[in-house]
Amino acid sequence: MSGGSLDREPTVIARTVTRLVVPVILVTAVALLLQGHNLPGGGFIAGVLTTTAFALIYIIYGLDYLETELLHRRPTVPFGTGTGIVREYGNVFAAGLAVAGGGGLAAVALGFPFLTQGVAFFEGVPVYHEFEIASAVVFDLGVYAVVVGALLTILAVVGAE
Amino acid sequence: MSPVASELPAFLDAAVLGGLLLASAVTLLAGYRVINGPTVPDRVVGLDTIGTNVVAIAALFAIQTGRGLFVTVSLVLAIIGFISTIAVARFVREGDIIE
Repeated sequence: MSGGSLDREPTVIARTVTRLVVPVILVTAVALLLQGHNLPGGGFIAGVLTTTAFALIYIIYGLDYLETELLHRRPTVPFGTGTGIVREYGNVFAAGLAVAGGGGLAAVALGFPFLTQGVAFFEGVPVYHEFEIASAVVFDLGVYAVVVGALLTILAVVGAE
Repeated sequence: MSPVASELPAFLDAAVLGGLLLASAVTLLAGYRVINGPTVPDRVVGLDTIGTNVVAIAALFAIQTGRGLFVTVSLVLAIIGFISTIAVARFVREGDIIE
């Protein structure tokens, strides 16, 4: 699209609301990720919510903002594949796949069937009194990273066209 | 505090039921505008109204049944509706969502 750059600048209201809303969305996503074993939630919906937060940043601040502000480097031309921030998104995807698969293989190493999950309760933890650690959180973290990496790759590549 | 929604007062129960019926009726009317809207902004505003009404229905249903998970449903729906409204507004105005 052609046109003056002043026309296309989002308003101060949009920028300020984005700065306020994005942390709220990210906290909601983390809450959904951590309650996923007992309540509705889990890795997938937490990843989707995180991606919507980044989509809001992309819409309001433009395609180059994340690369310059988070990685502190000049944005490369994001056409094609393998250039720009898309490579980091691919790394997130691969790391998530490795974590999820490794969590399943750890059960095999301990002599259980693939992807066997367990839960442990700890009494007398200072703040929580009773603390619960489920091994499914490892698999959920892997799914979360896979979803975030894949959806952000799609968003960056399609948004650049 | 007593546990929520084990037994609601009769007035609150009636009010929640009325709110559910009202929100459902408004959703149907907005659906008419989405299908029959002459212009694109009409349809967009109709869809946004439907999204907001579904958030309200989920919250009212959480009050009526006492199941907290529907509060989470309404929260996530509200977030996604907000972002979709911004994206569509930007598309209508600029012709391009992400620049």
